[in-house]
Amino acid sequence: MANEIRFKLNGSEIVYTGNPSMRLVEYLRGEKQLTGTKIGCKQGECGACSVIMDSELVNSCLVAMGRVNGAEVTTIEGYSKTEKFAALDKAFESVSAVQCGFCIPGMVLASESLLASNPHPTEEEIREGISGNLCRCTGYNSIVKAIEIAAEEGSGLW
Amino acid sequence: MKAISKSVPKRDHAAKISGSAVYVGDHPTDDLLFGRMLRSTKARARVLGVKLPVLPEGYFFIDKNDVPGDNEVHIILDDNPVFVEEIAEHIGDVIGVLAGTDEREVNILLKQIEVDYEELEPVFDPRKSDVAFFDFGYEKGDAEKAFAEADKIYEEDFETGLQEHMYLETNGIIAEFKDGKMYVRGSLQCPYFVHRAVMKATGLSSENVSVTQDVIGGAFGGKEDFPSILGCQVAVAAYKTKKPVRVVFDRHEDIEGTSKRHPSFCNYKAAVKDGQVTALEIDVLYDAGAYATMSMVVLQRGIIGCGGVYNVPNLKVRGQARKTNTVPNGAFRGFGGPQVFFAIEMLMTHIAKDLQMDSVDFKLKHVAKHNDLTSTSGRFHFPVPIPAMVKDITEASGYYSKKEAYKNQSGRFRRGIGLAAVYHGAGFTGNGERDLIKAVVQLRKDRDDNVEILTAITEMGQGVNTAFIKIVAQELGLPPERVILVPPDTARVPDSGPTVASRSVMTVGELLRRAAIRLKAEWRDGEEQLIEEHYKHPEYMIPFEMPAFRGDAYPTYSWAVNAVEVEIDTYTGFIDILGAWGSFDAGTPIDENIVIGQMEGGFLQSIGYAMMEKMTADKGYIRNNNFSDYIIPTAVDVPNMQVKLHVEDFPLGPYGAKGAGELPHVGGAPAVAEAIQNALGVNLHKIPFLAEDVMDVLRRKGGI
Amino acid sequence: MVKGIIAKSLRDALELRKDSTFVPYIGGTDLMVEADENKSYLFLHQVPEMKNIAEDEEFIRFGAACTFTEIIKNPLSPMILKQACRQIGAPAVRNMGSIGGNIGNGSAKADSALICMVTDSKLRLASADSERIVPIKDFYLGRKKLNLNPDELIIEILMPKHGLENYYHEKVGARKALAISRVSFAGIMDIKNGVIQNNATAFGAVSDVIIRLDTIDNMLIGKTIEEAKKLRGDYIQAIGDAIVPTRGRVGIEYRKDVCINLLKSFLEVSGI
Repeated sequence: MANEIRFKLNGSEIVYTGNPSMRLVEYLRGEKQLTGTKIGCKQGECGACSVIMDSELVNSCLVAMGRVNGAEVTTIEGYSKTEKFAALDKAFESVSAVQCGFCIPGMVLASESLLASNPHPTEEEIREGISGNLCRCTGYNSIVKAIEIAAEEGSGLW
Repeated sequence: MKAISKSVPKRDHAAKISGSAVYVGDHPTDDLLFGRMLRSTKARARVLGVKLPVLPEGYFFIDKNDVPGDNEVHIILDDNPVFVEEIAEHIGDVIGVLAGTDEREVNILLKQIEVDYEELEPVFDPRKSDVAFFDFGYEKGDAEKAFAEADKIYEEDFETGLQEHMYLETNGIIAEFKDGKMYVRGSLQCPYFVHRAVMKATGLSSENVSVTQDVIGGAFGGKEDFPSILGCQVAVAAYKTKKPVRVVFDRHEDIEGTSKRHPSFCNYKAAVKDGQVTALEIDVLYDAGAYATMSMVVLQRGIIGCGGVYNVPNLKVRGQARKTNTVPNGAFRGFGGPQVFFAIEMLMTHIAKDLQMDSVDFKLKHVAKHNDLTSTSGRFHFPVPIPAMVKDITEASGYYSKKEAYKNQSGRFRRGIGLAAVYHGAGFTGNGERDLIKAVVQLRKDRDDNVEILTAITEMGQGVNTAFIKIVAQELGLPPERVILVPPDTARVPDSGPTVASRSVMTVGELLRRAAIRLKAEWRDGEEQLIEEHYKHPEYMIPFEMPAFRGDAYPTYSWAVNAVEVEIDTYTGFIDILGAWGSFDAGTPIDENIVIGQMEGGFLQSIGYAMMEKMTADKGYIRNNNFSDYIIPTAVDVPNMQVKLHVEDFPLGPYGAKGAGELPHVGGAPAVAEAIQNALGVNLHKIPFLAEDVMDVLRRKGGI
Repeated sequence: MVKGIIAKSLRDALELRKDSTFVPYIGGTDLMVEADENKSYLFLHQVPEMKNIAEDEEFIRFGAACTFTEIIKNPLSPMILKQACRQIGAPAVRNMGSIGGNIGNGSAKADSALICMVTDSKLRLASADSERIVPIKDFYLGRKKLNLNPDELIIEILMPKHGLENYYHEKVGARKALAISRVSFAGIMDIKNGVIQNNATAFGAVSDVIIRLDTIDNMLIGKTIEEAKKLRGDYIQAIGDAIVPTRGRVGIEYRKDVCINLLKSFLEVSGI
């Protein structure tokens, strides 16, 4: 096989020929300046680096570039151009769920991932869906509320 | 609710949720040197020499010999050196910075540096330390007499542990020295703290240092004193290299190398006569860590609050912050309060139990009233809403019926409920605002009649920018989009003091309100105008005398009542939080969502502090240095938290607002602890209290 | 130097595995915690033969590269395995983490490996030249020591299909999600016509490897409930004597107490 990694990033075809052992998050932030993906721990424990890969939420700190081969990756920069983002954006704004904001891009993508598989989640399912995304500011209530609102107001989008 | 309280979209919302907000780590790396700290691996040692590998071109090592000004970080005692001068005082003490163009190369080179140490005897236990950075005491009434006349005397010891801020964004600073001026930016709460510290370390004059805030990914006090240290280190590196230098910590380094909440050891003696606590004798000991940094102020708040919300006529208090060879502890939301409020709240429940009274009823018998004397013989100048808040929370939580129902339990799972009543003194302690801070704010109107707010207050997610904009827009009758507010740069904004002490809205917000009223009165269409407003001390305040600790410690108080219900798994020790109820009085909320968000976030931190967040230094080395070893709550851990606001207006705060940010981090922990002790049927004296502690209790009791 | 390589078929993977400098990489959720850019990985996520979940007469067969999310969603997966997988990390970890990786990392805290142990699952291991099936208990030799040759890969997990209905599983973490096991326990009690057909227990996060004391568990096999009740004390005592927790972040006494409490609870719900 060729030592060449092909994948889609926010809709664009990418051919990556660098180190396959590099973390996806380093690539996104360093080589692509997609700094909406944050680094909180580099251990898969905080969720600040969450991105969507092949429709599933992943911690981009725990993904080596080789693993990205053949995948489709969406970061907050790509997602923020969608209608679904607009629904989440509005809902988060309406309850002031964004405090320091560092967890928020990951939290929004976790919300997307949850709603994509479960468009009308219960409160418990929402909490479970974002349980890998740590937030130290809000106590989570407002974020959970925002996702409930988005699910209701954005009904039909997911 | 007043009109101003109606929530509006937060000013910082859009940039943050779309990922476009620029945090310190997000600036492009092209011209930046990447810096990493060379840290002491010894808890106490004389640094005899540093042997560097051959550094390639573009790589620099910066240490004490490169500090152009004083090798001291200006905080309070200025005892923290910029770089180790001779003796490293804790593991992680910074000996130097290695800076270079390539991050990987810097990491490789850093590992090749050899440090020659002469090891010295460290001290890790503050109880065994003979260096007290601060030793305060005060008295009220005649404690000795009250103890002599008591029916019964209780004496108990209480301990609280380290708590790590765990802001999601680690500390980071960029500094650049260009054309004789030092530009510092980063994740920092208090631009003027860093400004003054960098001036001292570089020897540069005020106008040649500019400090700017980047978007902050959470702080909670963790970016109050610490950025002064990091700021000086990075600024000196930039001074030497003549290039912009950035240091952003990884998580391990942030946890191991930055400040935390002070561990405490408190001894409480209570005199009880006729079922009433007549006197308290309290000895407070805070573990300051290796340098004094903020410990003086943290300790002051601790010893002022150590009697809780109660009117105890006779007090004798001593408080010390002692040195240990561990990373210096500093500011953390609640600022010296959580440790002592835990202690007094537990003590009150223990005495109540001994007197066969319900703990809430016993506490209510002692709660201070409007115009009563405070611990420092000042006055509660405004109504004390605790009884009404207790009523609200006992009803909302079903406190009394649950407490009754949980008296005789059997089986694997045991429940308990606890309730705590607390305050947080709003704003700076004593005469700090008048004598030290002397806050200034400005409003600048441009020719298009847009108005810019100029203060040194930083937005870190707590919503202060939105609150300021609302205040100014309301007074001027302008739509909020006509009010400009950008992150502070000390070259542009006056010194309105640090973003700490729950003072921003209450104190600086009020200055802005007054400035806006003046601007409106003097408004001239199409003209540039500048309005400046200065702090005025409340006239009713009884001057605070130091070192006697006598007078009004705070202009007013914010109040909270918290109840927490737990279920304990007696097979595994697991503590499950079934419910958390909080009533919070921070005066009129300038924005309801924002204040509720502050209360919920702080309350959860406080619950974590009591039953989840454990950090220990093993011979000075912190092993809980990541998110898997230092556990903070996730979204599923406290699913049922209900917060309501009680409003007791403060006439001197804008629209009645008073301090909010720290209030929720005071009462959650004692409420959790009381719930646990009720479920287990034992008295608790320490937090954090974890599953292992539960099992220890059960083992000692021989089952439940 | 080639820093990593992506296998597209099993043959491809096993051929590449001959070069033992490559570290097998499926989900990466354990490997990448200590990521080292100088390491070379053999990426196995695109090997179709390792992604199947199928059944035969005797076993449910899980391809080693199946993620926890895939296992949870698949109707063939036994409930006991689903329950354990649901408690691993949080969604993002379950989306990437794999059963093969969980077993192959050798940790005694591995939550899906605990279920493989208590069910006496088998592992299909293969190299380019050979193939063998190993009971999982014989796969763990000691702390981080595996019965796996440098040229072998874990290809498939064979979990017995029958007798898993009466199961017991508890994971004790420091919080309710995103938790690493501090103690984990799984038990299976298969009773037919009042006689114990199978009794199996496994204890995770206690020792260097997951503890599976089958010879002691066998004490109860073939016994009626009444007979088992009489043996209960001796059985608990024997298990308790055999469990010697290794030093760790979580206290030894704590882990031991919890193990015994959960074992008792397992017996209690089984009517013993």
